[in-house]
Amino acid sequence: MLGYKMSQIPGSALSFAVLFTLLFSGRCSHQVPLVMWSSEGHALPRHAPPLAGHTVSGPQLLSYLTAALSGAPHNVLLFLQDKLSMDDFTVFGGVFGNKQDSAFPNLESALQSSTFPLVLPALSWPDSSALPGMLQEQLGTAPLYLDPETLAQLRLNSSGVALLVFRLPYSTEADMMSPRAVLRGNDEVVGQVLNIMKAQGVPYTAVYTAVRPSRVIAEGSLDGESVGRSLLQASSNEPYPPVEFKRGESTCILLWAENLTVSHFREQWRRHELGPQTFGSSATVSLTGSSCNRTHSRLVLNYENVLGFRSFRLIFSMSQRYYSVSARNWFTMDQVELEYDGQRALFNGSRNIYAPTEYSYRCESVTSFRDALLAAHSLTDNATQWRLSFEEFQIQGFNVTGTQFSYASDCASFFTPGIWMGLVTSLLMLLVFTYGLHMIMQLRTMDRFDDPKGPAIAVPQNE
Amino acid sequence: LFLHFGTMNGHAILYTGVTVAFWSTLLIVGICYTIFDLGFRFDVAWFLTETSPFMWANLGIGLAISLSVVGAAWGIYITGSSIIGGGVKAPRIKTKNLVSIIFCEAVAIYGIIMAIVISNMAEVSYSMFGAGLTVGFSNLFCGICVGIVGSGAALADAQNASLFVKILIVEIFGSAIGLFGVIVAILQTSKVKMGD
Repeated sequence: MLGYKMSQIPGSALSFAVLFTLLFSGRCSHQVPLVMWSSEGHALPRHAPPLAGHTVSGPQLLSYLTAALSGAPHNVLLFLQDKLSMDDFTVFGGVFGNKQDSAFPNLESALQSSTFPLVLPALSWPDSSALPGMLQEQLGTAPLYLDPETLAQLRLNSSGVALLVFRLPYSTEADMMSPRAVLRGNDEVVGQVLNIMKAQGVPYTAVYTAVRPSRVIAEGSLDGESVGRSLLQASSNEPYPPVEFKRGESTCILLWAENLTVSHFREQWRRHELGPQTFGSSATVSLTGSSCNRTHSRLVLNYENVLGFRSFRLIFSMSQRYYSVSARNWFTMDQVELEYDGQRALFNGSRNIYAPTEYSYRCESVTSFRDALLAAHSLTDNATQWRLSFEEFQIQGFNVTGTQFSYASDCASFFTPGIWMGLVTSLLMLLVFTYGLHMIMQLRTMDRFDDPKGPAIAVPQNE
Repeated sequence: LFLHFGTMNGHAILYTGVTVAFWSTLLIVGICYTIFDLGFRFDVAWFLTETSPFMWANLGIGLAISLSVVGAAWGIYITGSSIIGGGVKAPRIKTKNLVSIIFCEAVAIYGIIMAIVISNMAEVSYSMFGAGLTVGFSNLFCGICVGIVGSGAALADAQNASLFVKILIVEIFGSAIGLFGVIVAILQTSKVKMGD
């Protein structure tokens, strides 16, 4: 999101920006290619191919179809793939001199053997899904959904009218096969169908297209950064409010995090992100069991079905008291507890998670395993099987005014411990150096007995 | 202070400048902490707990040897210059007064032994810093002391040969204080293994 305030942009630039984005927004790659050909000996009527880069819209498609079907056989085979984009041909079509790797050998040979195939590289998406309907209207017959085995059992009339639809998948369940393998499989189906038609000696018109594009690249509107903020731009990351626990009318505890991740070790580490269930519009967390009074605050987040545990609770316990050395009240995060199906795992946070009572505590990363701020109580505790990681964590358990956090006391100080260590050591070295330099600069050669006009010193040879 | 710059030599200007910079930095930082009510951020306990004990341990080892060597060097410098000066007029003192030099050198040897003992400690702890500081400072002052006494001994010996042995007794007392430092440092390092 850009930080420009609307008031800072002059009016003319603003209207220009709006116009710009209106003109250019919506230019997205939501296009599906379409290939149409007819059997050998029966040519499609000649047609003007679409201009390069032109997206064929619904009415244009209709006109193409009308023109094509006027002279073509009326046995139409519609190979309708789930998803297809031009990129699939580019990536899997063996177009970079590697014809042997192509996933469309049957399609290619069919196109080559037909005369005047109709190739629409860019058919606008919502219109491509209306293709079966259009064909149905044109041919005046209902579509038949088939697969190659069923087709082999049909006897088709050479001069009849038929609309045979073959649905082809794009991805298998659980993505077990790569797209290339799936497309290859689809091409095999196309080959089989065409062979069956050839064996039966029935002329046909075949169409290979898809219901929706496989790759949707949303090109954003022309960059608004140089001309001001776009009014049509929607932010993808909606900021969400913190989790509030209210006691009566007033808010008592506030919690915010970008993500709350818990991982459990049972033969291997398994993670679960609690963030979406806790914050934002999709929150399903309940705060029953939370409590707060003047000295103790306890925030209980109740979840269900986390990592295979039916009931799961994440509990933050905080307490505050007066410390006489610093003469102020501080609060500490005494414990972070996990209660899962009757078992408990406890993490101690009072050593590192603390702040003055009036302020909130904020830390970029609160973990129990990496630069850990949360520590397990003992080596045998259940906590050793768990890993917690809270990102952009902010919490306040006392002195909450209104519904917003107070000043955030950050866990990262201005000078990190490393910087302090370097400064201390350097200062010590500097002191030593200064002292040594001072001593050396104080050295004076004896000049009491110097006599510049007298004879030079004679050093005797013998002792 | 500024009016005296003309009469000061280079050292004095440098030192006053550094002192002024140091104190003004502290003053400004302190004012900022107070104004923004961030005084709670000034936390010596945090500094002591968060800084790595390895830093302190290695500082201890470094100080053990370096301060001892400074003491020894200073002592040798003082004694040596006196021996050389006195030896011009009374060459007989040269050999006998080397004992004073050896007393000063012993201080450096205490320092290196302690540095090796401390660095060989398996458990890194703050007592390494403490032990290093103990032996370092006590050897520093012991070395200076022995040096000054030894210088006096050399010059007295040059005047009157019978005085040397008496002054040597004073030097022995001076050397004992270096030994005290070594003993206490050994106690500090050994406590780590015995205690917890």
